[in-house]
Amino acid sequence: MEKAIKKYWIIFILPTMAAFLIGFVWPFIWGIYLSLNKFQTLKKVEFVGFSNYIKVFQDETFLHAFWFTALFTLVSTIVINVLAFAVAMLLTRKIRGTNVFRTVFFMPNLIGGIVLGYIWQSLLNGLLYIWDKPLLALSATEGFWGLVILMGWQQIGYMMIIYIAGLQNVSPDLIEAAQIDGASAWDVLKHVKIPMVMPSITICTFLTLTNSFKLFDQNLSLTGGEPAKNTQMLALNIYDTYYARSGAQWKGIGQAKAVVFFVIVVAISLIQLKFTRSKEVQA
Amino acid sequence: MAKTKEKEIIVRKPIDNVITLILALLSLLWIYPVVMIIFNSLKVESAISTDKIFSLPIGEAFNGVANYIHGVQQMDFLQSFWYSLVITVSSVVLIILCCSMCAWYVSRVNSLVAKCIYYLCVFSMVVPFQMVMFTLSKTADSLKLNTPYNICIIYLGFGAGLAVFMFTGFMKSMPLEIEEAAMIDGCNPLQIFFKVVLPITKPTVISTAILETMWVWNDYLLPTLVLDIKKYKTIPMNIQYFRGSYGSVQMGAMMACIVITIIPIIVLYLVCQKYIIEGVVAGAVKG
Amino acid sequence: MKKRVVSILLTAAMAVSLLAGCGQTGSGNTASTDNGSAATTNTGSGDTGKAAADGANGKVYYLNFKPEADEAWQKLAEAYTNETGVPVTVVTAASGQYETTLQAEMAKTDAPTLFQVNGPVGLKNWIDYCYDLAGSDIANNLTSDAFALKSEDGITAGIAYVIESYGIITNVSLLEKAGYKVDDIKSFDDLKKIADDIQARKDEIGVKGAFTSAGMDGSSDWRFKTHLANLPIYYEYKADGISQTDAIKGTYLDNYKKVFDLYITDSTVDPSQLASKTGDDSENEFLNGEAVFFQNGSWEYSALSAKYSDDEIQMIPIYFGVDDANEGLCTGTENFWCVNAEASEEDIAATLDFMNWCVTSPTGTAAMADDMGFVIPFKTAAESPNAFVKQDTAITAAGKTPVSWNFTTMPSEEWKNGLGSALTAYAAGTGDWKAVETAFVDGWAKEIEANK
Repeated sequence: MEKAIKKYWIIFILPTMAAFLIGFVWPFIWGIYLSLNKFQTLKKVEFVGFSNYIKVFQDETFLHAFWFTALFTLVSTIVINVLAFAVAMLLTRKIRGTNVFRTVFFMPNLIGGIVLGYIWQSLLNGLLYIWDKPLLALSATEGFWGLVILMGWQQIGYMMIIYIAGLQNVSPDLIEAAQIDGASAWDVLKHVKIPMVMPSITICTFLTLTNSFKLFDQNLSLTGGEPAKNTQMLALNIYDTYYARSGAQWKGIGQAKAVVFFVIVVAISLIQLKFTRSKEVQA
Repeated sequence: MAKTKEKEIIVRKPIDNVITLILALLSLLWIYPVVMIIFNSLKVESAISTDKIFSLPIGEAFNGVANYIHGVQQMDFLQSFWYSLVITVSSVVLIILCCSMCAWYVSRVNSLVAKCIYYLCVFSMVVPFQMVMFTLSKTADSLKLNTPYNICIIYLGFGAGLAVFMFTGFMKSMPLEIEEAAMIDGCNPLQIFFKVVLPITKPTVISTAILETMWVWNDYLLPTLVLDIKKYKTIPMNIQYFRGSYGSVQMGAMMACIVITIIPIIVLYLVCQKYIIEGVVAGAVKG
Repeated sequence: MKKRVVSILLTAAMAVSLLAGCGQTGSGNTASTDNGSAATTNTGSGDTGKAAADGANGKVYYLNFKPEADEAWQKLAEAYTNETGVPVTVVTAASGQYETTLQAEMAKTDAPTLFQVNGPVGLKNWIDYCYDLAGSDIANNLTSDAFALKSEDGITAGIAYVIESYGIITNVSLLEKAGYKVDDIKSFDDLKKIADDIQARKDEIGVKGAFTSAGMDGSSDWRFKTHLANLPIYYEYKADGISQTDAIKGTYLDNYKKVFDLYITDSTVDPSQLASKTGDDSENEFLNGEAVFFQNGSWEYSALSAKYSDDEIQMIPIYFGVDDANEGLCTGTENFWCVNAEASEEDIAATLDFMNWCVTSPTGTAAMADDMGFVIPFKTAAESPNAFVKQDTAITAAGKTPVSWNFTTMPSEEWKNGLGSALTAYAAGTGDWKAVETAFVDGWAKEIEANK
């Protein structure tokens, strides 16, 4: 069987691999190479070694974007997962209208990031105006919470669905057994439900963590980095360096920033997976 | 739908009514932004400013469908809609077809090549787009993959990771016996794949299709950099362009176009929400 | 069962609406003269051109900087294609996105053949891509050599194609209703006195404020972070006898503050709202007679002339409180055409032909003068009907000195953005003027350093 499939490799793997090569492998390798060069278009590519990387770490806007992104990721991951889990708990109580609620909460996931950003920009600016507060483009704190609200609104529904599936898999017998042993509702949650849905928690934290860290569209349309790049996240900072700044040196720096960004994302993903997977084993 | 009947039997506690109420209020909060956009899309330009964003489209502020007509005409919106549709459908179909085949190979063949492909795909899932944005657009440009009709190859390349990963996860858990039986019956691998494997994989096909559709339809940066902007704009590009073009922002027309963009998606969602929600769960569990 | 029927119906409805969508798109495509699609329709006629010159086989791709002139350019491009058969594509970058779009487009194989830079600073970034225009027809046609942008190596890299003026556009009728004449405003103090008075009696006069909203949205903030910021730079250069600098001192920043303060206090809206106010808002306020003064330029003429007669609108200098008696309108250019040296020979020839046609042919000059309202610095130019342009000529004739456009020497877009953010925060009260000064002075030095 294996041999027969192998014979057909041209049909089975070639199309995907060819596209993969064009769409990922080659641009990726080329990107790493370009991060060591100075270029504007590709007419004149000048090798400059690691000087782009040195400039990346001297760039205050990049460092600021890093801390802003890190803080945003932390806050939004916690907010989204706690709320999504809470709503999922409520929705697994078999109350009236469960299906309607589930449908409504999931809906924002279908709307694109650019569109979402503009919707919320109008809405939040309207509210801030009524409350007599500076508008979104003026305050980094508001911009930060605006992004958290926007991400929460979009992602809670998605994570909720995954948590519901996880909670439904917890066997009722197990909960009953715990209750007979005299466990309170809190004990059941802490010692039975959470350990049992640990795989869902793993996947949800992974998704929220990487989504938040790589956020671009919403950042671009909600705050655009205002005021003065104070709400610029890493992805937007890279794009900004790459395309909005004119001059031959910036593209190389932008590419070097992208490589650094990539390394950070991979590191975070690995650490997170290791961390939560280890908890799963214990449970 | 069978579940609803089960539910009727369960005795509800009073606290459940409170919860229902809370959730109902929360739902309103979830729906309101969309309603607000619909209202504003019906208002005249001067009534959409920051201080009047919450006002209703009544009286002088009411503008009928003028914003819709203006938005659709001026920005060639229907054309963008068509391009977005072409790109999404072609990319998703291509991704499903090619990646499921590739995943079957990877899950059935035990070789170094297969292992490499698998790990490369996993690896590509975490790489942020910014890492390849310039080089990818340059590559697409040199290969002339810059029209709505062939950009699906780029999407296949960049989206292959997730799809192959999901399909492989499912296929590895499939029993070999059925395929071997088909083999003994004289089927060649292609026949086995299309007649036996693909039908069994249906749940994963659906969930992958949904995830990829949500990604491609809403994607902004990739088409902006890759497509030939002289001729083509997708919906997200068009909406972003609204913000800056002509040195002015036509909020009314922009809101109208947002409505036209999200209504079909919401309708589609309401129609096949069962699949979508199941697809998301299945996708997550595989991951 | 019922549910299934409903869902099938809905799906069918969706499918029909989608098909209807494509049908309309199809028909729209053939008749379309809009933005991008002109290229598709035009390419087919490429071989019908009779001219045997080099350019006949080439094509033109113009990345236009001026969003307000987009429609006119599309029309002109079509007219050229109809006349010569040479395909011309015009793409207009969204406001504030020119550099971003240019960077992305120049990296493509089908790069723009005609693009623009905003002056010596912009040229530095693109000099490697500029075709030497010395001796070309269009360069020879310039009324003065001063309108050619030369690189440090003496290459004629750019050609100014439009001369513009900006100042404070005044609604004469409303001003008279308030009891004043345009001639009453001769200095910053006059302007402030009158504006304050109008602001105090705004309900009586029937306006919302003396000045239109100084919107700091990306579609409008260039009026303050670039155009208004030109004045402190102009006077500093003048005082120091220089034409550019690596270290601005900010000598006249107090005057800058006074003018900006006037704009935001005697305004139609509360300063806290300015961050989200757009260029459209401001223009609409002026068109609706809600404000008397509107800082903008001669490019606004086509929008304003639809509502006001030439006597009703008058552009006055942005009196800066330094040398008001001699100050004229701010007149100059930041629009220099460059031809992409990387393009094929045919395309370069075609582009040169197109440029020359625009500024010499009756159709081209008429379109530039009437539809775009441009004054073009070429010998063959048609007279512009633009009232603001005539007013500029009159003011200069009266012995005032036009303020030159020194913002072409601003170190980068980044500098302008930094200044814009600081101004926005200052207007809203979330930041102080000190931050504006820092962005202006320190930001300048920093950007010069970063771009070395």
